[in-house]
Amino acid sequence: MSQLYLYPLWVRVWHWVNAAIFLVLMYTGASMHFNGAGWLMEFQTAITVHNTAGILLTVGWIGFILGNLTTSNGRHYHVQLKGFIGRLTAQSLYYGYGIFRNAPHPFHPSAEAKLNTLQQITYIGVMYLLMPLLVLSGWAFLFSVYLPETLFGIGSVWVVAIAHLTLAYLLVLFLLVHLYVITTGETPMTNMKAMLSGWHRDSHQDTEA
Amino acid sequence: MSDRDSESRLTGPAPALAAGWLLILSGLAPNLACAESETVDNQGCLRCHQMATLAYRDPGTGEIVDLSIAPMALSHSAHGKLACSDCHSADFDRYPHPKRLKEETLSCVGCHEDQDDADQRLYRFETIDEEFERSVHATSDHPKAAGFSCHSCHDPHAFRNSRVGEEIRQIVHDDNAICLSCHKKVQDPLRDPHAWLPKREKHRESVRCLDCHTPLTEAGQPVSHRILAAEDSNRDCVNCHSKEPQLLNRLYQYRSEEDLASKGWVSKAVFNEAYVVGMSRSPLIDRLALAVIGITVLVLGAHGYGRYRAYRREQEDQA
Repeated sequence: MSQLYLYPLWVRVWHWVNAAIFLVLMYTGASMHFNGAGWLMEFQTAITVHNTAGILLTVGWIGFILGNLTTSNGRHYHVQLKGFIGRLTAQSLYYGYGIFRNAPHPFHPSAEAKLNTLQQITYIGVMYLLMPLLVLSGWAFLFSVYLPETLFGIGSVWVVAIAHLTLAYLLVLFLLVHLYVITTGETPMTNMKAMLSGWHRDSHQDTEA
Repeated sequence: MSDRDSESRLTGPAPALAAGWLLILSGLAPNLACAESETVDNQGCLRCHQMATLAYRDPGTGEIVDLSIAPMALSHSAHGKLACSDCHSADFDRYPHPKRLKEETLSCVGCHEDQDDADQRLYRFETIDEEFERSVHATSDHPKAAGFSCHSCHDPHAFRNSRVGEEIRQIVHDDNAICLSCHKKVQDPLRDPHAWLPKREKHRESVRCLDCHTPLTEAGQPVSHRILAAEDSNRDCVNCHSKEPQLLNRLYQYRSEEDLASKGWVSKAVFNEAYVVGMSRSPLIDRLALAVIGITVLVLGAHGYGRYRAYRREQEDQA
């Protein structure tokens, strides 16, 4: 039985607050986008809740970036180029094939590296690319009067709206995959428990976060 | 559609009356042959009726009844190839016109539905008739709506459909001119009921009155003839502005400017009253995204099932 303290309190608080905000944004966003369907929130309420949650998400995202800049958590997002392709291939082969053959995990989390290479590039893509673009497109939506009338020859509001929508769908997709992949620990609940308590517990060391 | 040259002559309640009398006097009648004449010789009639001043004052109503027909407008109209006697009684060739002809009425619907190609036309006149019967022009008790008929808007001696290639602004102008020839209040900035409408003049130049004052036609015809009363007409900007990105852009920016100017940044960020339904709608992206999400769920489900099978195998091996 090994124990690793991988998730400091601020990371856990940020993670769960961010998750809750994201669920609210998904529901209210769908309520605005598909307004008229019965199970959705009332339109004007959805706008207010969505915008408020969006402001909180922005604050949370800035907090996450500042946290990574000022604490050791940031090192998990520094890609080690040496052996990158090999690690990525090994991880992909494990998820695509080895996992069905009860093969051993190719990655072992440690205090230095809690994320496997596939997770690492996914989270970098989500937190350092998609999320800021989503947040920016949200703010651009609100203050579109300060944008040029057209972007790429098309009405700027439409460009912003479609970008916001596409990014939102991509992040919903991420959420689905994320929810599934966290069940691939030693037991389906291993990783979930780690994000709740901060401690990654394993009966053998060949597990991952 | 447009009604060329008609609005200058048909004003107020006069159009209905003028059209009615015109038909009565010029021969409203049994000869609804509706056939297109190969050779049209209307000179006999036009000899008198092309006089721009041919008119009389109706003793009953006191209104001036205009009997003049502009030959150029007639020849360019939808009915330009018809002989007068195709619609009007041949007996009108006698002058003075026989008094009995006054009793006859002329039916647009009957004639148009008898045409061979009636079912291939954009408009079925039976549908138009049904729609018109529910129109505010037919149901209103207003004295000015009394006797309202097809001819109140469509001067049969000048009317023609707009054609592809004509400038839209001109079509809109001509179309709205028909409405404005009676609806004088709309032209008075102090009494115009459209005061609530942002950029009123821009709307009037680019949007037909009909676009807001008719329901979306259920019969598949381009425009419904069921003209709606003001209170039933479309006042929801979103109905038009969410369907076309350029319009949407303008509407949203206009409302955003209003929001920022009147309520400030914070209120704009939280409440964003400018947001309109459908702003981010893109059927292609929606379908694509929902398909990808659906496929992902299936793949994840299959992956999970594969893992479960592997887990069971491992359990069995250990046992």
